[in-house]
Amino acid sequence: MKTKSICLAAALLLLGLAAASLFIGKYPLSIELMAAGDDMQWRVFRSLRLPRVLVGAVGGFALGISGFVFQTVFRNPLASPDIVGVSSGASAGAAVGILFLSGGMAVTGSAFLGALAAVGAAISLSFLDRSGKNSTIVLAGIAVHALSQTVLMCLKLTADPERELASIEYWMMGSLSGVSAHGVGGNLMLCLGCTALLLLLHRQILVLSAEEGEARMLGVSVGMMRLAVLLLATLNVASVISITGLISFIGLLAPHIARMLTGDNRIRTMLLGGYCGGILLVGADILARSVSAAELPVSIFTSLIGAPFLVWLITRRGGAS
Amino acid sequence: MSYFSAESLCVGYGMHPIIENCSFSLESGCVAGILGANGSGKTTLLRAVCGILPHDGRCTLDGCTLESLSSRSIANLCAYIPQRSGISIDIPVIDVVLMGFHAKLGILAHPTAHMRQAASAALETVGLGGMEERNYLHLSEGQKQLCIFARTLVTDCRMLILDEPESALDFRLRYRMLALLRQWISDRGGCALIALHDPVLALNCCDRLLFLSEGRIVGAVSPASDPKHETESWLSSVYGPVELSRCVSRAGTEQWVMLRDAPMHEPTDSVEDSI
Repeated sequence: MKTKSICLAAALLLLGLAAASLFIGKYPLSIELMAAGDDMQWRVFRSLRLPRVLVGAVGGFALGISGFVFQTVFRNPLASPDIVGVSSGASAGAAVGILFLSGGMAVTGSAFLGALAAVGAAISLSFLDRSGKNSTIVLAGIAVHALSQTVLMCLKLTADPERELASIEYWMMGSLSGVSAHGVGGNLMLCLGCTALLLLLHRQILVLSAEEGEARMLGVSVGMMRLAVLLLATLNVASVISITGLISFIGLLAPHIARMLTGDNRIRTMLLGGYCGGILLVGADILARSVSAAELPVSIFTSLIGAPFLVWLITRRGGAS
Repeated sequence: MSYFSAESLCVGYGMHPIIENCSFSLESGCVAGILGANGSGKTTLLRAVCGILPHDGRCTLDGCTLESLSSRSIANLCAYIPQRSGISIDIPVIDVVLMGFHAKLGILAHPTAHMRQAASAALETVGLGGMEERNYLHLSEGQKQLCIFARTLVTDCRMLILDEPESALDFRLRYRMLALLRQWISDRGGCALIALHDPVLALNCCDRLLFLSEGRIVGAVSPASDPKHETESWLSSVYGPVELSRCVSRAGTEQWVMLRDAPMHEPTDSVEDSI
């Protein structure tokens, strides 16, 4: 009952923030003008504000759900989607898009392909070790991350420092400023599909948190199920960060906040992790548009909350042990 | 034809063999204990029988070759209790027990109300009634083992494989757990294979004892029917010189008692010899 109420409160808070976010920005929107049928007001609402809020809410929700999956499957409270190299792959992909292609959609597509390539490489490398241990995927992820960073550095070296290098750096800070109605539909659908499947697979995810032999003796085809779940979680992250750029800490923070509120890892906690992710991203986006005349990257605000929280988490775990 | 049989099981880590050519069989209704010194390969043998470890050889249960089955099919036939469960996330006790139904449910299905009732009843049976919503990680090690045992009791398996299930339990609870296990076997049929550290518990609760040394089954006895000196001799080969006696408790039950057949302050052999 308590968890249900918390979930409801979180959902309402997310809705409230999303509604507020619709009316925050350089171009002022007013309900009166929209009700009067002002064409410009509706155009800004449909093509910029609504897609931005949807990407913030759905993307944050997806990052929270994916973070829950990574932390549970890897049995590591500090695990996040970066562990399999998805972020660095997306960064390298985005850099290719900025340097060699033209248009925002090309960068989004290129970042998405980069993220997929990184995940594909990490999973393929993990198959070289037939034992199928969790640690193998983590090691493969570290190798792919290192390789992606090398590619990214090489691309940065060839970039024009005034325009392209700045664009790459700005993309890596993460922002929802480039989001528009054009071309986000596919990513949002993919995101919603992966999130729904992950919620449906919650029971499998919980069993994967047991020791590998134990999970197998409970009837889980550990290798296949872990692959499916991690693939869904990384697709989820890739579909978000290819639109927004890198968003720090939400995948790490949101599941922990949810667990602190409920004290367990049940499906409602997973759902709450999603709501917390949405609240954090939409909230950070509101701050990014409000605190200064120029729009700031959202990762500044997610990191401002995330870094102290991480320190607190480490000291709390140290105290508990 | 025996109910369960293991034929020529061989397991190794890399080039190093741990279990070599182990063969044994169990009849239906049999509770078999595996005794052996630390490092003799008890856990490895159990994990090979379950199919957790890749191995050579063949295990057959009630006519089914376990090596040819999927994880789900094996889980419907055999239940396994590890020395310590690897569950390391905050999870209510009832949800841990409900994991026992995992192999019976479809990938996207959720436990039914009937399953929840059965899980609560299993917790009541093992003495954890009323703890359904407690965090599993906050239980004592003994309570955790009882919780995992409850998870095993809700399955419809034909064979139970337990790896030192008594290691964290006190004197009263370890006998209670073995009694519940025997009851489970006699009610449903099937068999149990248990690695045990406590030879007296094994003598009093198991129908058959298998002695493992350096990865080989070197002997097998049935304490109730085989001559005492034979059992004594095999136990002495594992634990050093021991003496067995049959004692009758005040309640009138006859039980085995094992005495160390050497002065308490004298080592009987070096630790290296026994490992």
